[in-house]
Amino acid sequence: MGKINLTALRVRQTALSQFASGKIKQLPQWVDVVGAIPPSETLIRTPAPQHQLVRQRLKTLPGSSKPRVVFEVQENTRKPKKASRLFKPVELKYEEDQLRKEFFRDHPWELARPRVLLESTGKDFENYDWSRIQQPGKRLDGESVVQRQLWLLNNVPDITKTAAYDIARREFYKLRLQEDIERRVAAEEAEATGANFGPSYLEIGMDLENQQYEKWKAWAKTEAQIFDQRAAALSGAPEIASEAEPEPDSFAAEAEVVAPVEQPA
Amino acid sequence: MAQAPRCRGVERQARQKFARTILNTPSVQVCDSTASMIVRKFGLRQSRQLLALTRQTPISRRFLSTEFETPVANPATEVQTPPKETIVPSENPLHEVVQASRTQKTAEAEAWGRWVGQRRKFNRIGSEVEEAYDPEMVIRSPPRPSDITLELLLASGTHLGHSTSRWNPQNSRYIFGIREGVHIISLDATAAYLRRAAKVVEEVAARGGIILFAGTRKGQKRAVVRAAELAKGYHIFERWIPGALTNGQQILGHCETMVVNAVDEKLEEFKRDLADRPSVKPDLVVCLNPLENVVMLHECGLNNVPTIGIIDTDADPTRVTYPIPANDDSLRATDLIVGILGRAGQAGQKRRLEAAQEGKTTYKPITAEQLRLDPFTGVLPGSEQKKQF
Repeated sequence: MGKINLTALRVRQTALSQFASGKIKQLPQWVDVVGAIPPSETLIRTPAPQHQLVRQRLKTLPGSSKPRVVFEVQENTRKPKKASRLFKPVELKYEEDQLRKEFFRDHPWELARPRVLLESTGKDFENYDWSRIQQPGKRLDGESVVQRQLWLLNNVPDITKTAAYDIARREFYKLRLQEDIERRVAAEEAEATGANFGPSYLEIGMDLENQQYEKWKAWAKTEAQIFDQRAAALSGAPEIASEAEPEPDSFAAEAEVVAPVEQPA
Repeated sequence: MAQAPRCRGVERQARQKFARTILNTPSVQVCDSTASMIVRKFGLRQSRQLLALTRQTPISRRFLSTEFETPVANPATEVQTPPKETIVPSENPLHEVVQASRTQKTAEAEAWGRWVGQRRKFNRIGSEVEEAYDPEMVIRSPPRPSDITLELLLASGTHLGHSTSRWNPQNSRYIFGIREGVHIISLDATAAYLRRAAKVVEEVAARGGIILFAGTRKGQKRAVVRAAELAKGYHIFERWIPGALTNGQQILGHCETMVVNAVDEKLEEFKRDLADRPSVKPDLVVCLNPLENVVMLHECGLNNVPTIGIIDTDADPTRVTYPIPANDDSLRATDLIVGILGRAGQAGQKRRLEAAQEGKTTYKPITAEQLRLDPFTGVLPGSEQKKQF
C-alpha cells in the first residue's frame, strides 16, 4: 500500500520481457500498437492553469477623443503561494459571476422559472449576438440580462456597471410584459375558438376549501348536539334533554341517568 | 377613438355573459329567438377561423396591463345538449334516415367527434421542431473520433468532475480549475486522451484483437452493447465475476468458443480442438467505471491486458493503461465516449476485412497445425500414443 502500481502502464514492457524469457510463446497482437501509441505520462504533475479575472472596457482616455479598448486585470491581493500549492487547481472566475449574483439577488423569482440546460451540439452560442437581448432559440431569462449587460460593458464607451444594468433590465422588463400580453391574448383567442382550460387554480382551491368547511360543518353539528345533550342533562331541563332521550317518568329516574355522566368529571 | 372599441368590448362581454347564463340553465329546450341564435353562433365558433366566416375582429377585454383576468372555464359548455330544432319534413327520403342516425349519438360522442375533427384540422398548423435533442442519437449513431469537438464534449457534460474534497491528486494534470466547489476537467485533455484511446481501439480491432467493453453502472447497458456491436467486440453490463480472467477455466469454461478465418467465417472443423484450450483472454478492455471494477482491472494487470478507462477526478489514473479524463457519472458523457470508441473499433474492423478481401492480413495468422497442437504438451494429440507403440 502507498506505492504506485505501474502494472497497467507497463503492459508492453512486461509482454516483451515475458516473451524474451520464454513465458509466452508469441507476442500479443497489441504490442506494436501500444509501442506506436504509448500511454501518456500519467504521474507527472504540471503546474495548474492560473485563471485571472480580465475586464474589457471601452474608455476615453484623457488627451484623446477616440475611446480605446482597455483590459483590466484583477489584482491578486493574496500573498504568494507556497511551492506545494503550485499544482493545486485554482478557482475559475468570470466577470459575469458578479453580474449574475446581483441580478438574481434583485430578482430571486427568476430562479423559479423553468430553464433549458441541455444543448445538443454545444454550438448554440454561435447564433447569439448580445447587441440585442432577444436571441433565436433561447428563451428570455436572467442569463439574457447578464449577457446583455456584459456586452454593453465591453462595447459601449465609458459606461458604468449600473447604467448597463439599467439598460439591460429595462429591455428585459419590456419583453417580459410583452410575453405576458401575448400569452393572455393567445388564451383569449383559444377560448374564443372553443378551448376549455378547466377550472383555474383559484377555483380548485376554493373547492378544496369548501370541502373542508363541509366536513367541519358535519363535525360541528354532532359536537353541538353532544354539547346540548350534556348541558341539558346537567341543568335538568327536560324539554332540551328530551330531544335526544326518552322523557324520564320521575325525578329519581333522571338522577340515575345523570349519575354516570358525573362520575368521570 | 379609444371609446368606440371599449363600448363594443363591453357589449360583447355582456352578450357572452348572457350566452353563458343561458347555457348554464338546464332548461335550454325552450328559449326565445335571440338566445337560440346566440347558442347556435357559439357552436359555429369552433371552426369559424378556418371556414373564414365573416366575423368581428377580436377585441381584447382587457385594455390595461394592470387589469387582470383569469381565463374562466365553463365546463357546462362542453357537454351541452344542442337545442331542439323543428324538423322540417324534406322531400328527400334519405334525409329522414340521416336525421334518425344523428339523434342516436350522445352528447359526449358528439363532443368527442368535434374534438377529433378539431385536432385533425389544427394539428397540421404550427411550427416544426427541427433541432431537438434526442438522447437516443448518441447510442444509435455515435460520432466518429474525427467528430470530437470541445463543444460536443462540453454539451455532453464530460467536464464535470467531483467535489474538490474527493479528488485524487494524481489527476491534477487533467483538471482545469474549480467552479462552485467542483473540479472542472480540462476539455483539451479529454479530447486528446479520447482521440488517443480511439486510435488504440482502432488499431487493435484492425489486428483482429478481442475488445471487451465493460460498463456495469445502471443505464450504461445499451451504449455498451451498441459499442461492442459496432466494434465486433464483447460486452459486460452486469457484474464482473471475479476470477473470470485469473480463473477463466472454472468460470468461463462452459462458454462457447469458435475458430474463424480471415473474413470472419466460422470454421466448424476445429471445434473439437478447442475442447481443452484455456479460456480466451481479451486483447483490450474498455472500462466505463473503473471505480467499481477494480477487481477487473487488477486481473487485467495480472494477465497483462491493456486497458482503457474513464477516469473521473476521484479515480486512480494508474489503474488503466490509457486513461480518458472525463465525467463517469453522466450517462450522456459515458454514452458519447463509449460510442466514439465503438466507432473507432468499427473503422478498424472495416480495415481488417478489406485487407482480408485482398488476401492480406494485418496480423500473423495462426496455422491449422498450431491449432491442432495440444496446449499443454505442445505436440499433436495423437503423436504420443504413436510413440508408445
